Amino acid sequence: MSFKLFELLLQASIYTVTISIVSILIGFAIAILLSGMLLSLRRHLVLPARIFVSFFRGVPLLVQLLLIYNLLPVIGINVPSVVAAVVGLSLCTAAYQAENLRGGFASVPVGLVESAEMVGLTPGQIFRRIKVPTALRLTLPALVNEAILILKASSLVSVVGIVELTRMAQDLAGSTFLPLQLFASAGLIYLVINWIVALAGGLIERSLPGAPR
Amino acid sequence: MKKNSLLKGLMSAAFLLGATLSAHAADTLAAVKAAGTLKVGTETAFAPFDFIDAGEHVGLNVDLFDEIGKELGVKIEWVTLPWDGVFPALEAGKFDVVAGPATITKKRMERYRFTPPLAEATIAILKKAGDQTISKPEDIAGKKIGVGKATSQLDQLKEFSETLPTKADIREYPAFTESYADLAAGRIAGVANSLPNIAFVAKQREGVFEVVLPPFGKKSYFGFIGLKDTDHAPLMDAIDAAMLKIKADGRMATLQKKWFGATFDTPDSVKDPAF
Repeated sequence: MSFKLFELLLQASIYTVTISIVSILIGFAIAILLSGMLLSLRRHLVLPARIFVSFFRGVPLLVQLLLIYNLLPVIGINVPSVVAAVVGLSLCTAAYQAENLRGGFASVPVGLVESAEMVGLTPGQIFRRIKVPTALRLTLPALVNEAILILKASSLVSVVGIVELTRMAQDLAGSTFLPLQLFASAGLIYLVINWIVALAGGLIERSLPGAPR
Repeated sequence: MKKNSLLKGLMSAAFLLGATLSAHAADTLAAVKAAGTLKVGTETAFAPFDFIDAGEHVGLNVDLFDEIGKELGVKIEWVTLPWDGVFPALEAGKFDVVAGPATITKKRMERYRFTPPLAEATIAILKKAGDQTISKPEDIAGKKIGVGKATSQLDQLKEFSETLPTKADIREYPAFTESYADLAAGRIAGVANSLPNIAFVAKQREGVFEVVLPPFGKKSYFGFIGLKDTDHAPLMDAIDAAMLKIKADGRMATLQKKWFGATFDTPDSVKDPAF
């Protein structure tokens, strides 16, 4: 296998990384909002969040992508391939991350909050200094896991017309008849990307306040 | 259960809305000319029509649509999808026309409109070079034969298989390239595809693949595919006229020679396909 082919795979992996990272960040922003809704005491906030989570967790990502790409135009929203891919991945990962965050906030030890109240911290301070860092630290491993899952799931966006890493490997295998070398290389590139993600996750985890030394 | 009905509701709501919306869409040809680009949908695993060579999308379709673009005075923008995703996306308005090409069949003509043919599509068998057990199409009886999913070749192969003493063991693939890989690896005994496609593959991979002649089944032709509605009529008329002009002045034959190594006699239009 020539270096030229490997270069083409690397170029295609730029799509994989960019679309995944943008989706993970957008998904995280939505997830913060959703987890707040899920933990709220008002039914009219909890219910829509529940429905959102169960839909995007319960329908396969492949089906979601095809719905966004082929069904939205029917109601007059004709989204280009990249937008369909990012929207699909973002909404899907938002549902999972929201559940992770909800679990994190729910597991902040009650004693921790009570002692913060005892020393006279305001509710706002407690949220910022106690709840958020603790919940994030509890949630981070699951979030890194989710990021890695999304990076791998991004191989599905080829169905809405994006030539990402997996699709490029398939296309090149079709014209060069070197499937073994190409898929092995693609696998290696995924592995390196996800190794970097895991490493970055570990660094963030150690830098959070109150992390074990 | 709940999710199912939610989806069904979503679908039917969307279709109802779509039905009301499409009633006042614009003339596509005017829109294409105004934008200065014709959007063409296709798959990239159908050599020599569309394939990826050294990372570039190339093939007869690319060259032919460049000529069509020149005739219409517009640029060509390609959208590549898996083959079974191309038709839903055409109907969703993701692009104006489909390259493909697709075999012109009665069933497809009911739903879509075809351009004048650009090549013959009669089906034949590709085998591993030196395989003595297959010397004519009938020899595929009882053997594993690969074919593309959602293709007319699949229908033709099934029909032919019914006439054999023992049916062929038909394996469907999402893309023909994967069936060629399996044939090279010895997982299947043959691939059924249109003669121009397998002739090209056999030429590319001499010593690995061989074409089993003659082709079988009825004579058929390849055309590009568009929508039948009135909005698309002016655009499809313009593409038809461009293609007939390209055929008349010999450009079509030049491209066929370049990509197939041979030229095909094709009718100017197919009104009544064989199947």
